[in-house]
Amino acid sequence: MTTAQNTEIESEGGPFTRWVRNAIDNPGKVHRAMFYVALVFFLFTTLFPIYWLVVLALTPNNLIVDMGVVPHGFNLSVFAELWELVPLHLYMFNSFVIATVTTVYVLLVSSLSGYAFGRLEFRGKGGLLLLLLIISFFPPAAFLLPLFKLFTGNVVVFGLHSPNLFNSMGAIIIPFSGLFLPLSVFILTTFYSQIPDGLEDAARVEGTTRFGALFRVIMPLSAPGLSTAGILTFIAVYNEFFFSFLLSTGDPENGAPLVWGILAFQGQYASMYNYMAAASLIGILPIALLVVVAQEKIVSGLTAGAIKE
Amino acid sequence: MNMHVQDGEFVCLVGPSGCGKSTTMEMVAGLTLPTEGDVTISGTNVTTHPPKDRGIAMVFQNIALFPHMNVYDNMSFGLRLRNFDKKEIDRRVERAADILQIKNLLNRKPSELSGGQRQRVAIGRAIVREPEAFLMDEPLANLDAKLRVHMRTELQRLHKELQTTIIYVTHDQAEAMTMSDRIAVLNDGELQQIDPPLICYNEPANRFVAGFIGSPSMNFIDGEVTADGFDSEFVSVEFDPVGYDVPVGTSVTLGIRPEDVYLADDRDGVLYPTKLIDTVTDVMEPMGDEIFVYLLHETRETTTMDESQHRSKQLLMSVDSATEISEEDHVAVFLDRTKLHLFDQKSGEAIAHGLETSTRDHAATQNTTPKN
Amino acid sequence: MKAENKRTGGLPRPDYALANKIETLPEELYAYLLVVPAFLMVGVVALWPLLETFSMSLHADTLTGITVGEFVGIENYVAVLTGQRAVVLPSSLWYAVGLTVAFTAVSVSLETIVGLAQALILDQEFRGRAWVRMAIILPWAVPVVVQGMMFYLLFEPSVGFLVAPLQELGLFSSTPLANTQDSLILITLSDAWKTSAFMALIILAGLQSIDRSLYDVSRVAGATAWQRFKFITFPLVLPAVLVGMLFRTLGALKVYGLIEVLSGCQTVPSMSCLVVSAFRSNRYGTGATLAFFTALIISLFILVYLVKFVDSLRDIGGDS
Repeated sequence: MTTAQNTEIESEGGPFTRWVRNAIDNPGKVHRAMFYVALVFFLFTTLFPIYWLVVLALTPNNLIVDMGVVPHGFNLSVFAELWELVPLHLYMFNSFVIATVTTVYVLLVSSLSGYAFGRLEFRGKGGLLLLLLIISFFPPAAFLLPLFKLFTGNVVVFGLHSPNLFNSMGAIIIPFSGLFLPLSVFILTTFYSQIPDGLEDAARVEGTTRFGALFRVIMPLSAPGLSTAGILTFIAVYNEFFFSFLLSTGDPENGAPLVWGILAFQGQYASMYNYMAAASLIGILPIALLVVVAQEKIVSGLTAGAIKE
Repeated sequence: MNMHVQDGEFVCLVGPSGCGKSTTMEMVAGLTLPTEGDVTISGTNVTTHPPKDRGIAMVFQNIALFPHMNVYDNMSFGLRLRNFDKKEIDRRVERAADILQIKNLLNRKPSELSGGQRQRVAIGRAIVREPEAFLMDEPLANLDAKLRVHMRTELQRLHKELQTTIIYVTHDQAEAMTMSDRIAVLNDGELQQIDPPLICYNEPANRFVAGFIGSPSMNFIDGEVTADGFDSEFVSVEFDPVGYDVPVGTSVTLGIRPEDVYLADDRDGVLYPTKLIDTVTDVMEPMGDEIFVYLLHETRETTTMDESQHRSKQLLMSVDSATEISEEDHVAVFLDRTKLHLFDQKSGEAIAHGLETSTRDHAATQNTTPKN
Repeated sequence: MKAENKRTGGLPRPDYALANKIETLPEELYAYLLVVPAFLMVGVVALWPLLETFSMSLHADTLTGITVGEFVGIENYVAVLTGQRAVVLPSSLWYAVGLTVAFTAVSVSLETIVGLAQALILDQEFRGRAWVRMAIILPWAVPVVVQGMMFYLLFEPSVGFLVAPLQELGLFSSTPLANTQDSLILITLSDAWKTSAFMALIILAGLQSIDRSLYDVSRVAGATAWQRFKFITFPLVLPAVLVGMLFRTLGALKVYGLIEVLSGCQTVPSMSCLVVSAFRSNRYGTGATLAFFTALIISLFILVYLVKFVDSLRDIGGDS
């Protein structure tokens, strides 16, 4: 790499800016140095806000004045005490349940349609995919009012009132299951289409049903695709704000998710900045771990989902 | 299309690509539904049965082994689905592995096998099922030439051993000729002929079959039936049209295989030769054991590409490699009358195979000019 | 007899009525059957709500309960577009549209530039690249509520060390989180912090799909590094950049959660904020009108981008 860049810069004459001329003594080094400057800059801007949370969390609240970039003290007890102020664990548990149920459901449904889109030929395929894509673009605000009406039992079909799901996990899980479906469908369509042809035919001749071929052969083979889609859906649901906030009243007993747990600190303990920071750190932790463990899958999933369509 | 396959028979479906042979196979397997008509296996109408309930096993062109299972799991997949007990599965897998000599591969994944090994496993997966019939869709198409010939004989041995019905799809007529009890020739979704290989070869039902079976392909010369027999610019053959029930004036095509064209001095052993045809040799293709010689009409000294494409104007002859012959030679040749075929030019249907009978009294050795 | 038995073997005889129907369905119908659950789901939570939103937007507010009043045609649209409903909302519609579009334009531009730079860095080979990539992705995975909280804690004057110097420079007011202009800048920064990573990943995928031999060819032809970027890298990565921009634009136009946590809808009234405010004050007709109007504006952006994207593919001779 370094040698390549050396020759690059040596071979280029005028059209570069002045620093190139200044750097003629040792152009490779300058180039390399600039690269590292940019690298460090991005690492700093990316990680600083998270570091800031650590600084605040470790500083006892009464010392949070005139803060610099280092903690004033080393107070770990905040991580033990914050649970007593706000049952953050309940909110996080709710978020986990919501994210898990949504993910399982989305994977199940998107497996079927991803299989159809990726491996079968049928009329209207392009149109239906486009419809899914466009739906994923619409703002959640466009769906909010009718969904609220639906979940508060105010929609009547053939004389039957819709079930009252508002302020329960159901009211959050159902919209998510629909709205996060398209991404999963796109990812799985890509993965399924890459599996060698004819395996389901072989499985069916061997004795499976059509669904059997899908579940025993095609799905195990696209396990990487399924886990990618699953991880992305899980993260998206865990991170979601709009419906999590508006289709719940914030009571952890009624399935209120993480959003409400974090906001509870801002609302009730507005000046206890160390608790806010600590709660935020705890809120990030599971997702940060997921990123560390599943980095490759996240990258491949995001790019497959976006570039493909 | 109507086709009956006997129990224990080895039948090849053969035809050019896109002729519907694979579709036929998929309909037998139940992977494609026929728009009309029925599929019957062992007297049961299975047209609406799913593939799994048809008692058939299939070997696919792309081999289609399950990449996430090892060889043993691949082979035992169908048996496990049917809840066979472990002992029986082991017994069958072992026996199949024995026959195919893949016993040492049972724990490998398909990705760790060579092309030929994968093919054996795919066949093994079909064997362990002990099915009513094997369907094989160009199973050797993706193998290299040498391995293909080897697997061909293995398949024949296998058939002899198992005595199970095999329906085999291929576009390679040589494969069909060498392996099968009967060949079904398909074109454009129509069954052209279904007969034992030699009958397809010697008595092709129509011009398509005649041209498709045999390599190199049969010579075809377009001409007309006159009162004296067949006449064309190039070749004329005398016979009595009445004896073959062809009206005078019918446009017909004369067919003759390259090995049934002889040099004038090879007359011994051919009972019913035609009169001599004066030709000039064009291109020669020495094959080692024989030479393919392209013959042109005597009066034409050279030929353009365009004309040589026109098959009515040239004749392919195969001669023994010891024959002394070179390009641009003027040679006289004759055809074996018993091996001549006549096809209707319009429909392509065969009119006659062998034109010896009615002209026997003409004493073909006499070289008479046809009168107009 | 044994053969007969084997044909179905130990396979439990399926109940042919339904199971067999599925098995013998033509492929096309089977495909439709498979996509039914997905579209049922999407129909209930997206298609139906969209139509229902439209229908609600044609009815009057009732202010009592979750209902709309009598049919009023396009009256709501007229009222909303001419600013008559601004009194009951944090701001007029046009102000919100302007603010949201401005936020979108600036934040997406910023994210594209930063994302492109990050992608170019990640495209190089260096030790620890996997860790750098992880660090750069991390913000993308941070929940919106935490993201908002972070920037709240960074710019809350009584906590952060950043506000005072910025204020002395005259860039910020003393209470940036209660000032529309300052808040808008902070929300833009915060959004760029989180989603540049997404842009970087999309662009990186585009970069890595470029045929490396093109660089060799151009190097032989004597192109400088800048020329290589201008004539090869940039045009070939442009479709990926546009796809990333499309996703980010549509995301930015929906902005709500960040505002709610960081400075509140009164300070920075985005389009989604207006919908939520109307919803909270039981103005369902007005809310639906605003929501549907927001959806229309977003559709407009989708259309522009789709056309652009198809064009850019045509430029580089892509056939997809």
